[in-house]
Amino acid sequence: MLVLGVETSCDETAIGIVEDRFALRANVVASQAQLHGPYGGVVPEVAARAHLDLMLPTIDRALVEAGAHLSDIDAIAVTAGPGLAGALLVGVSAAKGLALARDVPLVGVNHLRAHVEAAQLEVGALDPPLAALVVSGGHTSIVVMDADGSFRQLGATIDDAAGEAFDKIARFLGLGYPGGPEIDRLSQGGNPRAYHFPRAMLHDGTYDLSLSGLKTAVIRELRRLEAVGEEPVLADVAASFQEAIVDVQAIKTLRAVADEGLEQVVLAGGVAANRRLRARMQADCDERGLRLIVPSIPLCTDNGAMVAASGANLLAAGHLDDLSLAVDPNLPLAVATEPPG
Amino acid sequence: MLILGLETSTLRSSVALADRDRVLASASLGVPRRHGEFVGPAIRFCLEQCGLAADRVTGVAVGLGPGLFTGLRVGIATAQAFAAARHLPVVGLSGLDVLAFQERYTDRLICAVIDARRGELFWAFYRAAPGGVQREGGLQLGTIDTLVAELIATGEECLVLGDGALAHRELLEDAEVVVAGPDVAWPDAADLAELSVPRFLREQTQQPLDLQPIYLRAADARIGWETRGRMHGGRQQPTPPTDRS
Ligand SMILES: [Zn+2]
Repeated sequence: MLVLGVETSCDETAIGIVEDRFALRANVVASQAQLHGPYGGVVPEVAARAHLDLMLPTIDRALVEAGAHLSDIDAIAVTAGPGLAGALLVGVSAAKGLALARDVPLVGVNHLRAHVEAAQLEVGALDPPLAALVVSGGHTSIVVMDADGSFRQLGATIDDAAGEAFDKIARFLGLGYPGGPEIDRLSQGGNPRAYHFPRAMLHDGTYDLSLSGLKTAVIRELRRLEAVGEEPVLADVAASFQEAIVDVQAIKTLRAVADEGLEQVVLAGGVAANRRLRARMQADCDERGLRLIVPSIPLCTDNGAMVAASGANLLAAGHLDDLSLAVDPNLPLAVATEPPG
Repeated sequence: MLILGLETSTLRSSVALADRDRVLASASLGVPRRHGEFVGPAIRFCLEQCGLAADRVTGVAVGLGPGLFTGLRVGIATAQAFAAARHLPVVGLSGLDVLAFQERYTDRLICAVIDARRGELFWAFYRAAPGGVQREGGLQLGTIDTLVAELIATGEECLVLGDGALAHRELLEDAEVVVAGPDVAWPDAADLAELSVPRFLREQTQQPLDLQPIYLRAADARIGWETRGRMHGGRQQPTPPTDRS
């Protein structure tokens, strides 16, 4: 059974094809990063226009990669949310056009959940319960996949997503876009303890995170240095900033794992590519005897294969949507994703 | 021949099926911002009412705008994917052409006007011609004042139609222009399908990838951090939906 997954929730037009839930057949991403670069962030209307331009060519490339034709596809999965409304709508409309024309089932997928389920394409069936940190330019969430395969959100950033904080600081430091890889690179030669930046909400008893105060503190420190005529060591600033972000995420995630009595952690989302975050999560998990699952980078960043995998799971559980499937920019993790019965 | 027509570039969305002789089925909805949920079920409804399967469709016609950006993308994305999945030819038409087609029997100069939001209008001029209407000049974006000045400058008796005209009915009537009623205020997929049939017959068609939306306005370059904030996982205050057209 071949499932084609369509992902357009943010700035990647992505199509994936998955066979029998666990086998990756194609994973093609048309990135719009160059289009949004000049703005230092994703521009919703620019993203929606680009999704429309890129949709058919990306579908074609995925079919070629899979060595398949649209007539071979047995079901269409599509991200219904969370994400940018106008961007999501292009993917969902295209998915409906395909499903109608080929008379195959349509299933709407939750983007956050799909990030976690992407791991099954590399490690095989996940063995819940497990916790996951899903961290990207659009989201920073700590979720739990329960033993029955359903998902719960434990916490999320209350302001900036981690990737967004990276973008904003990179922009302030005059670095390129997207900011995450730039900060990661610059931090390599820097001292992560050169500056002390705040870790917010560490002891508030929730699993929520706040990153906007950290961003403000970095900017304030740079302005202070400028005022006293001191040249900041940018590598040290980047490393100290990155260390603070990584700290907050690792501490909150590991606390959730301990409180829930879990033994496995999935790290997913585009920011999972950050070398310091991966190393820190690995060290923390090793120390506690936990299993850490980190999908390879093409399955961590936004992609269509994760949507196909998640859709295949939903279909296997007897769940499907009708053609009135709506996009929901705030799609909650628990509601639309639980298979009926 | 069986043509599927989709027109979703205004706040009204519609779907129709036509063969070479007539419109077989149509469905339309005047509720704004429901294009995405309406179009799929409406296509299935039209097919089912005709007792036809999707594989009987031989061509797809779609409205390209100008109009509401999110709406017109729903129609084009659906049309492109449907046509690509069955290797069908497509015809894209401006919603203004489709709108003007409704007044194809008048001897006045026709001006089709679609609401462009933000205090602006999209419009174009047409004249009745054999088989429909002929556009005179290009598609325009401007304010009601510019439109009124243009209408007066034609020195002709004008018939103005469309939701953009209805919104400024009094101003236009003060300029001694005839404003058509709400029954012809929105481009409709049934007219679109009918208008596209001769093109399919003459094989004046395109490939799905060739369809380009008519925006007439550059993308709004606001980054919209606040919009992105909604993606973080549901802790934010719900924000009312905004139409970015
Ligand atoms: Zn993502």
